[in-house]
Amino acid sequence: MLKRLNKLPSYLYIALCFAFFYLPIIVTIIFSFNESKSLTHFTGFSLRWYGELIKNQDVMSAVYVSLSIAIIATAISTVLGTLTAIGLSDCRKILREWTLTVNDIPIMNPEIVTAIGLMLLFSSLKMEKGYLTMLLAHICFCTPYVITSVYPKVRELDKNIANAAMDLGATPWQALTKVIIPILKPGIFAGILLAFTMSIDDFVISYFVSGNGVMNISIIVYNMTKRVNPTINALSTLLILVIVIILLIVNLLPLIKKKKSKVFNRILAGGFCLIFFFTAFSYFNSSTTKVLKVYNAGEYIDTELITKFEEEYNCSVVYETFDSNESMYTKLLSGEEYDIIIPSDYMIERLIKEDFLQEIDWSLIPNKDNLIPEIMDKSFDPGNKYTVPYFWGNVGILYDTTVVEEADLTGWEILRNPKYNGKIYMYDSERDSMMVALKALGYSMNTTNRNEIYQAYEWLLKQKELVDPIYVGDEVIDNMISGNKAMAVVYSGDASYIITENPNLDYFAPVEGTNMWYDAMVLTKFCEDTDLAHEFMNFMLDEENALLNTDTVGYAGYTTNAFEEMKNTTYEGVSAYEPRTGNEKDEIFGYQDPETKKYFSELWTKVKSH
Amino acid sequence: MKYFKNFIKPYLIWSFLIIVIPIAMIFLYAFTTSGNNLLTVSFTFDNFRRIAESVYVAVFFKSIKLGLITVVACLFLGYTFAFIISRFKESVQDILILIVTIPMWINLLLRTYAWMSILSYNGIMNSLLMKIGLPPIFDIYTDYAVIIGLICNFLPFMIIPIHTSLSKMDKSLIEASYDLGATPIQTFFKVTLKLSMPGVINGSIMVFLLSISTFVIPKLLGGGQYVLIGNLIENQFISVGDWNFGSAISLILAVIILIAVRLTKKFDRNEV
Repeated sequence: MLKRLNKLPSYLYIALCFAFFYLPIIVTIIFSFNESKSLTHFTGFSLRWYGELIKNQDVMSAVYVSLSIAIIATAISTVLGTLTAIGLSDCRKILREWTLTVNDIPIMNPEIVTAIGLMLLFSSLKMEKGYLTMLLAHICFCTPYVITSVYPKVRELDKNIANAAMDLGATPWQALTKVIIPILKPGIFAGILLAFTMSIDDFVISYFVSGNGVMNISIIVYNMTKRVNPTINALSTLLILVIVIILLIVNLLPLIKKKKSKVFNRILAGGFCLIFFFTAFSYFNSSTTKVLKVYNAGEYIDTELITKFEEEYNCSVVYETFDSNESMYTKLLSGEEYDIIIPSDYMIERLIKEDFLQEIDWSLIPNKDNLIPEIMDKSFDPGNKYTVPYFWGNVGILYDTTVVEEADLTGWEILRNPKYNGKIYMYDSERDSMMVALKALGYSMNTTNRNEIYQAYEWLLKQKELVDPIYVGDEVIDNMISGNKAMAVVYSGDASYIITENPNLDYFAPVEGTNMWYDAMVLTKFCEDTDLAHEFMNFMLDEENALLNTDTVGYAGYTTNAFEEMKNTTYEGVSAYEPRTGNEKDEIFGYQDPETKKYFSELWTKVKSH
Repeated sequence: MKYFKNFIKPYLIWSFLIIVIPIAMIFLYAFTTSGNNLLTVSFTFDNFRRIAESVYVAVFFKSIKLGLITVVACLFLGYTFAFIISRFKESVQDILILIVTIPMWINLLLRTYAWMSILSYNGIMNSLLMKIGLPPIFDIYTDYAVIIGLICNFLPFMIIPIHTSLSKMDKSLIEASYDLGATPIQTFFKVTLKLSMPGVINGSIMVFLLSISTFVIPKLLGGGQYVLIGNLIENQFISVGDWNFGSAISLILAVIILIAVRLTKKFDRNEV
């Protein structure tokens, strides 16, 4: 007899597990109703983010891309994987071993390796990156999951069963569909679930193999990390709601269930037709008028301006975002072509050096007089031959005025004051952290002197010993708003936003000097419609547009009026908003030669894993 | 079933094109120096020599340790879970498995952010504790925060294969075991567990693979000092731009995983 499990404890266990799985989901749902932007601090109920969601076209099209790719890729992988698994049991041993080994590769490899491999493949085949390449890549990494789920079932299958069916007069097709596949069903079901899950949540691979404005939900979320806001929570809540409703319909109505297979097939077939139709439609639809491809950091523009530009100039803007200068560069290397890119100083220097850019024709930009003189003519591009300035700022220390004593605010050395042991966030980027150490030691942050760099490394090691800092990325924004620690190294633009959310905080840039950073619009050598590109840059410099943009993004503005206006309204009294000028020790990051870069990264890995 | 052996052919061609060729490119990178093009390839072992430095070896050990902890925890939790639900009616089982999977359809980064707000010092858990008069005990950037995040995200990958194995197990074998006088405990270890070994192995391998190469979860819940193999590779490919070294690290990772898979499968064969 089966041993009857003690019911109560086992129900309790299941309930606890579900609570564990659903705790983050419930929190996600709750914060979708949050009044403020924070994902850690609930300030009040509002439906604001649902409104933003409906307005946000990027998000809506990302939902479509994510879902359609997940469904199509899962369907194709399931068929391909199941057939392969069935075939595997009966082919020669050497073929089987080979296939199983190859099959393990996409599962085994870290996503980034698969991503780079596929990126290289698609570029060498000269395939245009977009929906199709993303779909192929998803089929590539989903099929192995189906095979690994189905194959064990096939192995357990009694081989005589199919033969018996055929002896009894079934055709091979009948034997397959009526006998074998029904037996494999649990395995196939597991495979479908895994494949769909992997596909819908994938970021790294999708990011590197897609392009031309095709983005899935993950790409949008990752590019939002700078300013994560609950729009995506609202989206997730809606998705969950839809899934639950579908499940209820399918499982709770017994009537539907009895005829399930047929109705289900029809629904599925209908769904696929729709998706293919939409795909074809969106392809044909995209080939209109003049096109401008813009590549910018995530959450770094007021997207309404893009719509406005499209209307005014009767063109369409393909707008894509990156999460760091480096991933932007990796994508350029893979052969992606854009018209306008908005990178930072040191990356611009590199792009100029490596001949990616073409010169700006300033006569086509009448709004140039609006620009703040202070941010023109910088070391990375003397005379602004290649760059039209965008947002700017510096790096400094954000501190909690209720914890940190004014007297301690001497310079970067405060980050090693044992009084604040366990209360410090450092920025998890090798260049910024090394900058802090080099400046504290009185060296240039662009030094290539190995001895100086090594001393900076020791400074950071000692810091780790003294105050045990936490190295964080953009999460620092939410963490400081919640007041989790007393001090953090942050960008000035982020600091002013954080201070408006948490007035206990203040900001200072040590006199020993800091990193001044300048982002700018550049024109790539791939750009053919240079007139339209210049119109776009001119449009961004328009006083009214610049003000809208500055208001949305929150960084120090690039036109005089927008900058002054914001300084006197939203950021009144927030010292972080106005980046310090005139300190001789402040520097701009320069291009780093590969050897120094490797050295930096090696030392930084050592510091962190010490 | 010789009729079906040709079914493998499409995948053979497909996998060669889209899996073997890209991996061959990565392989080439691992054994060459940076900055060359295909015409002037110069082979080298330097990339592998660099990995032997103590800092990288330490990173490898840390990742493997974290992977093993996650696998063991998921195995205990997941097996119990799969075992219990395999006792339900079949239609209920399907629903329960679906309920396990649904949270995975919400973006990983968002779920991890949610864990951050649950566990952080000024977070939800601690404020609940403080409300009932207890001192705050949770904090992120700790080992247990990382492990909780990993388990929560990867447990379904353990549950699903084990459940697949358990659900179609021939129940009469268990009855036979009882009839022959085995105790429940003996029956579990000698019959149930052995029959579900393929699922256990599949699940363990999958969880190990996922947790050894992850970097988002440790980074957010453990802070930047949580350097794992995944971070190392990502860093080489994206920010340093040294694809050769990055490729070499990922090859070593692949070898480690291959060894782990072989060991587990060998264990499987000896046992069953």
